[in-house]
Amino acid sequence: MVGPLRNIQIDDVVPSLMKAMTQDAINLFEGSAGQEGPSQFTDEVAARETLGTSGTVASGRMSLTFAIEMLRRYFGSDVFNHSGVVDLRFLRPVRPGDTITFTGKVSDMSKEANGSRVTVDIQAQNQNGDTTGVGKGSAIVPNAYLPQEE
Amino acid sequence: MPGTDNKIPLDWDALEVGETFDKFQYVLTQEMIDGYRKGVMDPDASFPTIAHKVDVRQYNAKYSDDGSVNARCAFHCYNPPIAGKKLTVTAWIADKYLRRGKNYIVTEAVSVDEDGRLIDRVITHELKQPSEVGKKWGG
Repeated sequence: MVGPLRNIQIDDVVPSLMKAMTQDAINLFEGSAGQEGPSQFTDEVAARETLGTSGTVASGRMSLTFAIEMLRRYFGSDVFNHSGVVDLRFLRPVRPGDTITFTGKVSDMSKEANGSRVTVDIQAQNQNGDTTGVGKGSAIVPNAYLPQEE
Repeated sequence: MPGTDNKIPLDWDALEVGETFDKFQYVLTQEMIDGYRKGVMDPDASFPTIAHKVDVRQYNAKYSDDGSVNARCAFHCYNPPIAGKKLTVTAWIADKYLRRGKNYIVTEAVSVDEDGRLIDRVITHELKQPSEVGKKWGG
């Protein structure tokens, strides 16, 4: 899974990930953890009363999950599922009907005991070009999968 | 003083950073994993624990407040959880801060499975004035 990382470099662009948000997807996400009652994520009345919005919003944790997916695909699950981190700030609500595109760019590489931590700057934008989230993600890539030092 | 539902109304000023909640345990079922994967449209999604919001679960069980909005969230992957295993979650108040007149609470949680495998760590910054979302972003 990590073979392609042999050529990883600063400023490398991570393949983007696009997600079309639906209320069904939000309901499945919330329901998967047994959160069945009305909430700002699943019920318009609850959203209006709690957030003051006219409709539901998606949990920020869904965006977090999508950013994790983008990086897992980039680093490979063998690497990312055991050393991956994503830290995301949520700047705008994501709503049903939105299409969110996650993009990333390698911004840093630093030595660690068992490899190098490769850091990626992450951005999420909706279909209008509005930024819905920004942050960073990283994973510790074994040295064998990185370019050899000269 | 507990409210009618035995929860304690949040007093943000009095909330102590470092307060650790009672451990929370649950069994992660294959059904939970399948529902999560459908919801996030990723058949290989490995950390369905994200949807369980375990870092705020025990806070929400103890305190009542006006709700919250997730302002920032960090997730550390250690080992994907396995269906059928019991997970034990330890959660605590990691920080609190005031920014632009708004109150935030930072919760942190670590999940470990019944075999002692470290699963994940989640750190969440919640804005405790959720109506700010509607004020800023409207309907």
